[in-house]
Amino acid sequence: MSAPLSMGAEGQHRAMLSFNRVSKQFAHGVKALDGVTFDVPRGEFCVILGPSGSGKSTLLRALNGLTPLSSGRIAVDGAELKPKSLRSVQRRVAMVHQQFNLVERLDVAQNVMSGAVADAAFWRVLLKWYPKSLRERACDLIARVGLDELHLTRRMGELSGGQQQRVGIARAFLLDPDVILADEPVASLDPATSRDVLTLLRDAARERGTTVLCSLHQLDLALDFADRIIAMRSGSIVFDGRPDALDRSTVASIYEGSGLEQSRVAA
Amino acid sequence: MDMSNPPRPSLERRREINWHLPAPYTWRMLVLLIAVAGLLLVSARRVDIDKFLALSAEAIAAQLGLRESSQVGRGLARIGKDLFPITLSYRTDVSRVADFDEAKLPWLAYVETVDHREYRMNPDTTKLEETVSRKKVMVEPLGYLTLTVGKMIETIEIAIWATILAVLLSIPLAYLGAANYTPNRAIYAIARGTVSLLRAIPELISALFLVLAFGFGPVAGFLALGLHGAGFLGKFYAEDIEAADKKPQDALRALGASKIRVLRLSVLPQVLPSYIAYTLYILDRNVRMATVIGLVGAGGIGQELKGRYDLFEYGNVGTILVVIFVTVFLLDQISARLRARLIA
Ligand SMILES: Nc1ncnc2c1ncn2[C@@H]1O[C@H](COP(=O)(O)OP(=O)(O)O)[C@@H](O)[C@H]1O
Ligand SMILES: [Mg+2]
Repeated sequence: MSAPLSMGAEGQHRAMLSFNRVSKQFAHGVKALDGVTFDVPRGEFCVILGPSGSGKSTLLRALNGLTPLSSGRIAVDGAELKPKSLRSVQRRVAMVHQQFNLVERLDVAQNVMSGAVADAAFWRVLLKWYPKSLRERACDLIARVGLDELHLTRRMGELSGGQQQRVGIARAFLLDPDVILADEPVASLDPATSRDVLTLLRDAARERGTTVLCSLHQLDLALDFADRIIAMRSGSIVFDGRPDALDRSTVASIYEGSGLEQSRVAA
Repeated sequence: MDMSNPPRPSLERRREINWHLPAPYTWRMLVLLIAVAGLLLVSARRVDIDKFLALSAEAIAAQLGLRESSQVGRGLARIGKDLFPITLSYRTDVSRVADFDEAKLPWLAYVETVDHREYRMNPDTTKLEETVSRKKVMVEPLGYLTLTVGKMIETIEIAIWATILAVLLSIPLAYLGAANYTPNRAIYAIARGTVSLLRAIPELISALFLVLAFGFGPVAGFLALGLHGAGFLGKFYAEDIEAADKKPQDALRALGASKIRVLRLSVLPQVLPSYIAYTLYILDRNVRMATVIGLVGAGGIGQELKGRYDLFEYGNVGTILVVIFVTVFLLDQISARLRARLIA
């Protein structure tokens, strides 16, 4: 075997994401994450399930440096996340946001191409004039997420929530990231659109072998879309396993007191 | 009572609620109101509001025929007589023009012959004697109007360059003076301090000093207006950067983009419409102010105005005022249209 191939094989065994005793204490005493440990293998669609305030966003934002950790270690593809290596990790990790976080006054094409903001030459960013290969890739992605040519020059305000999140997904895939973090990507969409958008995200990730860490608060969606569910409550993991291993009492403990989503599991 | 229905709050129960609904006005507000009214009365005497009212009443009475005349009416009539008819033409004594050639007159110009009377003292008799000489004068019927419009265009150019200077200066000042983009607190304080200082110095005053430094002419005017405008724009731009929606900025930051790149792609598109509105306002203001600072010799139409006023040539002053009015009016129309188009 040649050297590069064996290195590739080694990569297959290594976890894509690795969280080791990760904790986050906010300034005003809230412990948002409390010793969270788990690994995510390459290509997995892993759902972080938990009620509001359980620490899902904090966990995801720790991975791309939006929220600095109090203690613990995170590694991406074997490389530990440090302030010095943050930039290089951020280029391999894209994010899909609950509120889409698109620029209202830019059109669809420009929003998608802004996914290359850290990668393109500075003058290209200044002029919003990207290389041909990137423009073509943006068009391919916009078509892939189910929009058409007429949408290219539409601004965000003219699109529905579902269409906006499709743009957000296209932006995330632009630089072919190793990991996509999706923080409640469907929380502001209606149930039917939520399923369409999650299907798109899961299928697009499967085609490319992208690892997805997706937070959700709806149990039914988690059960239907996840390869694996990590359930959280008050900053700690209370369940980690395949969706069919999630039983009624565990669900009850996750949602205890919130009165949500307990009916689905009986099925 | 029907027991099968869930109990509803009855009227009896409602009586138990003994809430206090605060009154919309308080005694403190009334006292404050009286105090403010008192202060305004004192101040009215200090700025001669009473005199203003008396003179205005007199003028209205004169208009209604209750009085023969009024001080204000006489003043206004004199201004009207002095300024109108406005002077449109330009007359040049032919003898003062070097190489005058009657066959090659400027467009529309013609030559008039006038009697020129002069009184001279006869050295022998020590008496004043009238001498009449015939003089040729070249008349350009729209000469003065053309000159004034030229000066007005120069004024607008001063205003445009002042606006360009203000924008160029205020962009870095806004970046360094926006709390969420500034490199550090010290630079932030310096940028904000500079912006306040620039805004605090009135254009007319800085123009006065800049004329000493750069001499009479447009340079002093454009600098004075540009620096003052940078004070305005620097403040407004910075505040818009601070108030811009954080979510798209987060998204690009998460991709590892530097501050400048985030600013370009997610802040600038959001703040651009209000930037354009501010900049058009500053341009509009600069045109109006550029006519004023000419009074201290900083170029443009104001300098012409001052010169004519000092020579008591009120007909020419009238022309200048009409041209300024028409320009400001047209500018209003144009900038309203520009705004509507650019802020789509
Ligand atoms: N910037 C912050 N400052 C202080 N507390 C925060 C901040 N962000 C989140 N928290 C707190 O951390 C806990 C977890 O929040 P979050 O990760 O947003 O939960 P989720 O995304 O699951 O709803 C909550 O109690 C929340 O109030
Ligand atoms: Mg959240």
